[in-house]
Amino acid sequence: MINYILNLLTLATIYGIAASSLNVLVGYAGIFSITHAIFFGIGAYAGAQFALLVVPDIFLASMIGAVTSGVLSLLLALPALRVRGEYFVAAGLGLQMVGMTIFSEAHTLTGGHGGLVGIPAATLAGFDVSTPGLFLVICLVALIISLVVIRLLMRSSFGRALMSIRDNESAAESFGKNVPVLKTLAMAVGCAIAGVAGTLFAFNLAFVNVESFTLEQSILMLAMVVIGGVGTLSGPLIGAIFLLLLPAVLTFVPFIPPTEIGTVQQFIYGSLMAVLMIFKPSGIAGKTGDK
Amino acid sequence: MLLLQLLASGIQTGILYALTAAGFALIFGATRIFHVAHGATFVIAGYAFYECIQLGIWWPLAMLVSFVMAIASGVLMAIFIYRPIQRSEGSFFTVFVAAFGVSIAIQSLIQYFFGRGSVTVSSALTKSSKVMEGLYLAPILAVAIVVAIVMFTAVVLFLEKKNAGLGLRALSENPRLLEAFGLDSKSLTVLAFAIGSALVVPAAILTSISIGIQPSSGSRVMLISLAATIVGGIGSLRGAALAGLVLGIFENLVITVVDTQWSEAVSFFILFAFIMFRPNGMFGATVKR
Repeated sequence: MINYILNLLTLATIYGIAASSLNVLVGYAGIFSITHAIFFGIGAYAGAQFALLVVPDIFLASMIGAVTSGVLSLLLALPALRVRGEYFVAAGLGLQMVGMTIFSEAHTLTGGHGGLVGIPAATLAGFDVSTPGLFLVICLVALIISLVVIRLLMRSSFGRALMSIRDNESAAESFGKNVPVLKTLAMAVGCAIAGVAGTLFAFNLAFVNVESFTLEQSILMLAMVVIGGVGTLSGPLIGAIFLLLLPAVLTFVPFIPPTEIGTVQQFIYGSLMAVLMIFKPSGIAGKTGDK
Repeated sequence: MLLLQLLASGIQTGILYALTAAGFALIFGATRIFHVAHGATFVIAGYAFYECIQLGIWWPLAMLVSFVMAIASGVLMAIFIYRPIQRSEGSFFTVFVAAFGVSIAIQSLIQYFFGRGSVTVSSALTKSSKVMEGLYLAPILAVAIVVAIVMFTAVVLFLEKKNAGLGLRALSENPRLLEAFGLDSKSLTVLAFAIGSALVVPAAILTSISIGIQPSSGSRVMLISLAATIVGGIGSLRGAALAGLVLGIFENLVITVVDTQWSEAVSFFILFAFIMFRPNGMFGATVKR
């Protein structure tokens, strides 16, 4: 039971990091990415391969995951600079589907449909940190570092420039902001942090395959951000905890037949998304009344 | 001969895509609502038909029920989901998340009642016969072609000849001006959803007969419709339909070059390339925005 709770908290922390990183794109830079699970996945595969082939050091693996994800984020930056709105969402969908196929078919890199198995226990500077309690601490530290980085960046001139682009791109450009560079950087930062979350995720399960990086997962992350509150620091965390605890809580509801629990969860999750968007479009942590 | 066989199945898939894409394109073109729950309408229509046939209802009646259910679901979503959101804030993204939520909820409801697996309506139409050496065709292909032509002709005639059709086109260009002329944009929006949703019904029924339908079919239909709408050029019904057809044929023909698992990725790669290099789509040049 205690391990179950620790594992749930670890997952919530990891998804909290992922959702916060998505918030950099969606909330601050105004880039509506529905491809985030792919970057989460790239981090997971890169980190896992590093652990399998080189050394299972969680810090080094996370850095590898972050760099790989950050560099590959250029693939999404390309359409983000050229098109916007529904076109960008469609481009993101295209990338998501192509990415998923690569995850499940490029056997040498990703292990194919079976995924990468037997990821060794996480170590940090030679010490084993894979016990549930210690691993949770590691994830929490990663979360805090990510949040601090995001907060510092968004409070800096970089963050203010990003938000000015989000609010009015032409105005920002006429004030001499280099919009393409700023957008690309924001994307790289967001995706790199997602890569860290992905690596932690891979270590936590000791196993990765394409199931964790589907379109539904991208939407789940997006829902965390949107339900929690776009462009707030606490919103994505609230959203992540909320959406991950929901299934756990439903497990204890007596009158749902156990075989149907997944379906009922999906129904509640879907309806919640719709209802929240109708009645509280700025999210749980979002400010009401303004805009 | 393999090529001809693949072309035949490509045309059949393509027609299904063309119909759903045209519905999506019509709704999106007229109302600017990114109706990602379009796939849910497809699944509702398919299962409504299946359930009626299971209950032993005469098939034309079953089709009628399917039409009613699809149109009702589209219109209800327009009134109860999209309208309140657009009234309050209506950012593109809010609509997107809400619509996605609705399609997840509908998918899980159908899963709850009918199970996860795919269901098929058995019909004599799918029995293939040998046309020539190595080419087997089923009568359903002909049915699909005829149905598609009839549906498209009806919709195009409606849009071009009727006042309401003119109104829909005006709605896509300037909703405020439309209101100023005393037309009601709300009822036109409902009309767009009704026609758009009706267009998926034949596709859903044909799918339930030919390859079977399952709760998760919806998201695939939605993705393809969306891709076809963009590739065809937003605002162009013909473009979307043609792009749907081309995507379907392409998806089947590409098997001769790459493994089956990659065929879907190829379609989406085309979408990606179109967005990068020709975001106005195939017919974009003629569509003013």
